[in-house]
Amino acid sequence: MLIRLLETITKPRLSSRFLVLAFAAAMMAGCATAPDSNDPEAVAEYQEINDPAEPTMRAIFAFNQALDTAILKPVSNAYRQTAPEKVRTGVHNFLNHLRTPVIFFNDVLQGEFENAITTLVRFLINTTAGLFGLNDTASDLGIEFKNEDFGQTLAVWNMPEGPYLMLPVFGPSNPRDAIGRVVDFFIDPLNIWARNNNEDWTIPTRTAVDAVDFRALHYDAIEDLEKSSLDFYATIRSLYRQRRTDEINNGKVDPSTAVPSIGQFFDDNQEKSANDEISQNR
Amino acid sequence: MKICPRMLSFLPALIVFAGLSFSPHQSLSASFEEEATTFVQNLAEKAIRELTDKNKPRDERIDQFRTYFNDHFAVSGIGKWILGRHWRKANEAERAEYLQLFEDLMVVSYVDRFAAYVGEPLHIHKSLVQDDNNVTVYSDIHQEEGGAAVRVDWRVGRKDDLLKIVDVVVEGTSMSNTLRSDFGSIIRQRGGKVAGLLEALREKTAKLRENDG
Repeated sequence: MLIRLLETITKPRLSSRFLVLAFAAAMMAGCATAPDSNDPEAVAEYQEINDPAEPTMRAIFAFNQALDTAILKPVSNAYRQTAPEKVRTGVHNFLNHLRTPVIFFNDVLQGEFENAITTLVRFLINTTAGLFGLNDTASDLGIEFKNEDFGQTLAVWNMPEGPYLMLPVFGPSNPRDAIGRVVDFFIDPLNIWARNNNEDWTIPTRTAVDAVDFRALHYDAIEDLEKSSLDFYATIRSLYRQRRTDEINNGKVDPSTAVPSIGQFFDDNQEKSANDEISQNR
Repeated sequence: MKICPRMLSFLPALIVFAGLSFSPHQSLSASFEEEATTFVQNLAEKAIRELTDKNKPRDERIDQFRTYFNDHFAVSGIGKWILGRHWRKANEAERAEYLQLFEDLMVVSYVDRFAAYVGEPLHIHKSLVQDDNNVTVYSDIHQEEGGAAVRVDWRVGRKDDLLKIVDVVVEGTSMSNTLRSDFGSIIRQRGGKVAGLLEALREKTAKLRENDG
């Protein structure tokens, strides 16, 4: 889903040139067809989907999928088949540990001071008892990992998400999350250290390991999803948005989520009356 | 007893208090909550008991899962909700075929993974009444393979004495909502016609049925 491997094989300059090319090619694919303005339901649906450059985004998605099939998927599969579970868990824990400063920073920016303290305590426990983050001792003690990022911070600050975006290599996003990504990159102490000390290898290595860890962890879920969905692109778009909303709300149920009401589930009369309404309107 | 004005001033508070403690709605919803929790617990246990036998032929497992799915999920209700406004445009034949294909799709997609998923220990930690007929039961499923617990919310609906799952929400992502986007997108691409969706569903279910595991 999040394909981030290419960054590892392309130098920054090359990758920016590549992005421009991909973007130019994608722009030629064009924009989504606006719905019939006489059909208010179709207009509402179009606005809800909020994917004005859909054909372009689909072209980028196809490119990302090709990249996944060629590189990330086989590498992740080999990784989960060969590396022992203990190793994979250690790698996953260590990657989460490296994110701690960014999480802490965003906890503070969101005014979540209790979470900020939790993040700090986790960092201390896992650095010491957890052997530099290889073990998630804090979670074993009931202090669980909670991710935050600057995209979520912007959402807490009431910035709207904007239209759906499919980023080349990086996968599903929106302007808010794309900005968040860039900000997180620049405030990450590890990245600052790498840049200041010319340790060029660290950033791409971490990005690659992160991508493989994510893909391997969700390997079956992604395969199942691709297999059973009719339109994988639309499925990913929906899942990405729901997942982000959940993360922004810190897992608390969003009351505005459309809940299928039981009336619709058992009561056929309701459907009939809805039907009559429609025929009367026409 | 003589009623003085001072006592009367307590009356509204008294009435509110009495209303709260003896409200039939509250006691009903409390038992509805318990009922829904038991329902989800049983559903998980039944999945482990009946759906985990990998040695059975796949056709047999498909039949068994179909029965299980219809017993515990509001299949046609979910199907209708997913189709949304397009349900009204569909004719009788299209509706009937759609509901059958939707059930088929769910059965052939989930037969190989539902049991594996719910087969892990399920911890129910909370339930919340939305209204008289809807309860959400919150659970964590601890996966076998080292990963963190997965948050699964079960939306349980009630009609008379019948309880059914109306949605499953995994880590904040609703199964019904996701399918609604998926199906809606196909309909839009195929000229806004339900017939286009039926065509896609026919192809997909046939493919998944052949696909072993």
